[in-house]
Amino acid sequence: MKKILSVLVLIVTGITISACTNSQNTLVVGLEAAYAPFNWATQTPNEHTVRIEGQVGYVDGYDVVVAQHIADELNMKLVIKVFKWEGLITALQSKLIDVIIAGMSPTAERAKTVNFSDVYYRSEQVMVLLKTSTFNEATSLADFSGAKVVAQLGTLQDDLADQILNVNHLTPLESYGAITQSVKSGEADAFVAELPVAQSITATNSDLMYIQFSEGNGFVVTDEQVSVSIALRKSDTDLLESINTVLAGISEEQRNEWMSAALSRQN
Amino acid sequence: MELPDQSEFFKTIIYLFVTYYKIILYGLGVTILLSVVGTVGGFVLALGLTQQRVIHIDKKRDTKFVRIFKQVFKTLGDWYVTLLRGTPMIVQAMIIYYGIATLDIFPWWSPLPAGLIIVTLNTTAYISEVLRGGLQAVPIGQMEASRSLGLTYNKAMRKVVWPQAIKNSLPGIGNEFVVNLKDTAVLSVISVTDLFYAVTQSASATYRTIEAFVIAAIIYLIITYISSKFVNYLQKRVGTAKVVKV
Repeated sequence: MKKILSVLVLIVTGITISACTNSQNTLVVGLEAAYAPFNWATQTPNEHTVRIEGQVGYVDGYDVVVAQHIADELNMKLVIKVFKWEGLITALQSKLIDVIIAGMSPTAERAKTVNFSDVYYRSEQVMVLLKTSTFNEATSLADFSGAKVVAQLGTLQDDLADQILNVNHLTPLESYGAITQSVKSGEADAFVAELPVAQSITATNSDLMYIQFSEGNGFVVTDEQVSVSIALRKSDTDLLESINTVLAGISEEQRNEWMSAALSRQN
Repeated sequence: MELPDQSEFFKTIIYLFVTYYKIILYGLGVTILLSVVGTVGGFVLALGLTQQRVIHIDKKRDTKFVRIFKQVFKTLGDWYVTLLRGTPMIVQAMIIYYGIATLDIFPWWSPLPAGLIIVTLNTTAYISEVLRGGLQAVPIGQMEASRSLGLTYNKAMRKVVWPQAIKNSLPGIGNEFVVNLKDTAVLSVISVTDLFYAVTQSASATYRTIEAFVIAAIIYLIITYISSKFVNYLQKRVGTAKVVKV
């Protein structure tokens, strides 16, 4: 019994010590590792991947490239920790991470709790549906009247779904994995997603397609809603400034190039 | 290996496992760690808790102070079990993990240690019920005989009653381990990378969700099957013991 106990104590202390990695020169980034092409998990490292702290896998994706770039420019060591989407902001507030780089839109609601950097990617909102769906000819939001629409819990996309006339807005789901499955199984007719996410999902799921809307036919969104930003604690104003300086140095072409490279690495 | 086409269900399963086996096996390791720590830690804590809950209040010999003291701990113990058994572990996980994270008192507070603590606290309540049943199954004559041979109450409990109660409870505790293997999946809600969350991550690059979770189902089935067999074996070895259903 004593032996078992001492082994347990060892394990727990080991975990405890390994959990305390915060120091001055590290940038601890939190993300979901389940939101391709912004961030996803892999076990085969490449030049863009970063090891997930306290776990065996690696993360790859647009967010990881941006995080690495920021860490390099600021001369910091990059550490990445994985948290569930709903837990990211709490993890930031409780200092488990320093910044969130997870494809997060800087909504006014979230800005009450955290600070947001300048935009590091801007995209548009599209609808993803089965190729065989009755809505596959749609060109405007109005064409989706009466459709069963789903989105991710606690996201902008979930709010946007209500802009569709007569929409049957289903209970939001936890991850894009579940959302994709819900459309594939016919549970939902379509889901709202950001363009790169839609591209990534349709690339690996050949029975799905996405519909882009022309100006005025799509969702009514403010500029901040279609952008993604880095979230920081309200108190970390110096870090915010340095990050904004780095972001200002990344050109539009560079961003698009990183995004398409991320999309092509995905499978 | 190339990602197989949409229609190739089984090939996709093999692809996902080959591509993500390290992440998946790590998740399996965490699930087993949670269940072992939860069950062993829960057992140790439950010994103390159950002793508090069944403690004998001697109306003649105990002073008034001792009687009140015993009664308070007895009641607190019962409340603990009612509270932890009466709420889902997923709810306990959310409250304990985010509650303590927001208070910001432990610098080491992160999902895995939090998960280990939550599963241990939860299992303590369940095993305490198992042990209580095990104690009740020990014939009263055992205690009477010990006392008439001159053993004190504490000594009789420790040397005679508890060993038999623990023996009676072994299958029930084993069942608790099997239950923990499956139920720790809810701890993914606080970002513990157990088997469930590891599989979620494995599907994250391809969004092939069903195929990934078939892998999870197979692994869960294998580990629960093996441990149930072990529990059955234990049950046979213990022989006459009454099995307490939880």
